[in-house]
Amino acid sequence: MSNTAKKKFSSQSRNRRISLAVTYTILVVMAVIWLIPLVWIFISAFRCEYQPDGTFIGRVTSNFFPRAVGFENFRLLFTEKYYGVDHAFIRWIANTLIISVIDCIISTFLVLSVAYCIAKLKFKLRKAFMNITMILGLFPGFMSMIAIYFLLKSIGLSGNPDHPELSLVGLVLAYSAGAGLGFQIAKGFFDVIPNALVESAKLDGCTNFKVFWKIILPLAKPIIIYQALMSFTGPWMDFIFAKVIIGADNAKYWTVSVGLYSMLFGTHPDTNLFTQFAAGCVIVAIPIVTLFMFLQKYYVEGVTAGAVKG
Amino acid sequence: MANLKLSHIYKVYDNGHKAVNDFSIDIADREFIVFVGPSGCGKSTTLRMIAGLETITAGDLFIGDTLVNDMEPKDRDIAMVFQSYALYPHMSVYENMAFGLRNRKMPEAEIKERVMKAAKMLDIVDYLDRKPKQMSGGQRQRVALGRALVRDPKVFLLDEPLSNLDAKLRATMRAEITALHKSLNTTFIYVTHDQVEAMTMGTRIVVMKLGYVQQIDTPMNLYNSPYNKFVAGFIGTPQMNFFDATLKRNNDKVTVAFSNGDSIDVPYEAVSKIDKNYLDGEKPVTFGIRPEHIDINKDGEGLKFIVTGVERLGNETIIYGKLGDHLGEFTMKDEGNAIVVKLVDRDDLAVGDVVYAQPKQNKLHFFDAETEITLIHKIPLYNTVAAQIGADTLVALGSQTALPEAIGKAISKKDKIELAIPPQAIVKGNDFRLRVARIEKTDGKNLAYLQDGENYLFAIADDDVSEGDDYGFSLLYDKITVKAGGETIVEPIGDEVSLEGRFSKKEARENGERVLHFYYDIGKYSIEAEKENGYKINSIDKDHCYVYTYRYAVDRDKIRTVSAGEDGLDVTVIERLDYKNVCFAKVRTEDGQEFLIKTDKNSTDSILRIAFDGADVSVYSTRIDMKLC
Repeated sequence: MSNTAKKKFSSQSRNRRISLAVTYTILVVMAVIWLIPLVWIFISAFRCEYQPDGTFIGRVTSNFFPRAVGFENFRLLFTEKYYGVDHAFIRWIANTLIISVIDCIISTFLVLSVAYCIAKLKFKLRKAFMNITMILGLFPGFMSMIAIYFLLKSIGLSGNPDHPELSLVGLVLAYSAGAGLGFQIAKGFFDVIPNALVESAKLDGCTNFKVFWKIILPLAKPIIIYQALMSFTGPWMDFIFAKVIIGADNAKYWTVSVGLYSMLFGTHPDTNLFTQFAAGCVIVAIPIVTLFMFLQKYYVEGVTAGAVKG
Repeated sequence: MANLKLSHIYKVYDNGHKAVNDFSIDIADREFIVFVGPSGCGKSTTLRMIAGLETITAGDLFIGDTLVNDMEPKDRDIAMVFQSYALYPHMSVYENMAFGLRNRKMPEAEIKERVMKAAKMLDIVDYLDRKPKQMSGGQRQRVALGRALVRDPKVFLLDEPLSNLDAKLRATMRAEITALHKSLNTTFIYVTHDQVEAMTMGTRIVVMKLGYVQQIDTPMNLYNSPYNKFVAGFIGTPQMNFFDATLKRNNDKVTVAFSNGDSIDVPYEAVSKIDKNYLDGEKPVTFGIRPEHIDINKDGEGLKFIVTGVERLGNETIIYGKLGDHLGEFTMKDEGNAIVVKLVDRDDLAVGDVVYAQPKQNKLHFFDAETEITLIHKIPLYNTVAAQIGADTLVALGSQTALPEAIGKAISKKDKIELAIPPQAIVKGNDFRLRVARIEKTDGKNLAYLQDGENYLFAIADDDVSEGDDYGFSLLYDKITVKAGGETIVEPIGDEVSLEGRFSKKEARENGERVLHFYYDIGKYSIEAEKENGYKINSIDKDHCYVYTYRYAVDRDKIRTVSAGEDGLDVTVIERLDYKNVCFAKVRTEDGQEFLIKTDKNSTDSILRIAFDGADVSVYSTRIDMKLC
């Protein structure tokens, strides 16, 4: 290698190293900023500190790293009575799970059905419908919150003093009723399933529903899983709708997010609940993290569907 | 097994694009029909309309005797093989083949029997447990065929089934599908853009271009007698050579003069069916000759060209050349100047050689330079005959006869005229007499070559006419075009009358039920439409049909004169036209529409009331050129 070539090569190498150094520095800073709250919550969940008089410290403390760790917060979370409800946290988790699972089933079915219709059937105003849903999608969902609240209230599915449990039904309705509008990603997936398959099935004697059920769905595993995940995590993590529709009075029917929030800013006599709140956050994150870890492959396939020609 | 009938089928998309125009064909049971044409010609759309995967905008589709326009694909008893095979990826080969039968609730034992039979026939028994992705392209194609086969359908539809296969496999599958058709004895409709597939497989071929049918014929007829330049160029590889030329008759020879100055002579007999107006040495024509119908010599006879490329394929050699004797600058677009010759057993030519192309004289093709339609029809469209007008007499074809009054009126001041006489307008009679020079059997008819001096007059003769006969005939003057000085003086009278009008409906209660009646309204005259036609118009134009104007065509023979008390359209007679064989009255409606109706020679009425039946009316859209029913 000549001297000039060597110089050029070393100059290129140096430039690349500088560029990488700058990139990584920025990434590390961003990662730290992003991770600190999570780490803090995680640490707080395992914080197990006592005052000299033996009382448990459950509030925010000035020391970032705990002086003692343990599972006291988790024990309290599952055994304490909050807002007069025994085993309230377990109750909230159960409420949320029921809502999420039901919504997951209904929403997934609705989204996939709508996506199939839009992708594979020809009907009048199909394009207009797609445009309208696109525009509607530009508005945040909670804009409709007040209207939904009053609608549900008028049919007794929210704030019903005789049957407060009906608020959970109202919540399922609120989550799943508009789910069909979120068909775009599933449509992208169905678009790449050749139309010839649908046509062939029709010639083989299938109705539209049978084509959907017997041909499209078996080929759509990634998008079913992606959609189910999305439909499950939505209600699982939602706070605003749950807070509005269930209301503040019936702690028994709260979802986990409403319950956890109330630990920090509620009217509970003991407001020293921050570490238990952090423990609750960790518990809530477990199913989501687990689901994503196991279904990550399908999730990526689903979310990138239609991006490139198959 | 079934026959199919497509009658005036149209496909018009919402944006107004016409994908298929006036497609009509009768497909007999067990025929192998191939739709062929370049991309976008409407062949797949037509097939999909037959399958029921596309709606039919207008026209009738019959499978067997059943009108299936609005029938679901699954109920049409057809099976289709797709270009992409369309096998269900999540099912095994067996399940793929059984799927259609299971949907029809067939007993599992029978399903198994059918699948095994088809699998044996297609040699895929060993693959029944495999998924499609574990199979090669050829095997998948067989599964797709098998899936269609097990259904035992009335009609097989195949949409470019071989286009995803490599050349060798394609040739094998071609033979297999042909053999399959023979063994199944079922009607096959096959779509391809590959003319080799079309020629080798079809019993009849439909050549399409831009949504229009160009020609429907047997493979050899397409090859030997293409209807137009497009068909001529599409069928045959390498494609036919085309050159701009003019034709000049010199006694028993016709000189083909090419635009580059070269010329060749061909005997008049080889081109006698070309109308004599094209033989004047001026009217531009397109000369066509297939590469395999050219002989090459080096001794200066024929069309001079320089060899620009030689492809040696072993059994044959393809010579590429350029007219003239120098190569000039290279250009990809050398249309009208390039020549391709296919030679067998000859390998003495090299790039740069200057040689001469001598077309085989019985293999020549000529096309109108403008319309691109062939000039050599099996039965010539018309004979051009010179005639002279005397005082109430017509002198033509060596005879003198009384001039029909209708023609006399129009051409009183022109003494020399030209008649364009269709062979069908020459009927047995006594006005003229010519010798039959030859009889040719073509298209199931006897085409008589009547010797008119140096020219032929073509007529359709009965079986009892033979060569050398003295043939006496008369002319149906209403079918003849009369020209003078290149201008058309008298147009032939067609079989149909066209009238414009509106469409309406009326509701009535019959036996307590609401019944709709549809009407064609021409002025004040309302003709009740056949109910199914009424619904057809309504389904095509929706509610706009009550606002649009339509063209109603009625066979002239179906129009009758009625008395004043009956329903009818009042017309005023403007003129009477006596054509000797038939008499017409030119009439005008109250809203100013003029047309001809047949009338009695002795009739003198100046006002007539005419009527016709809704069943005899054909309806055309006036917005787009489309027959609605």
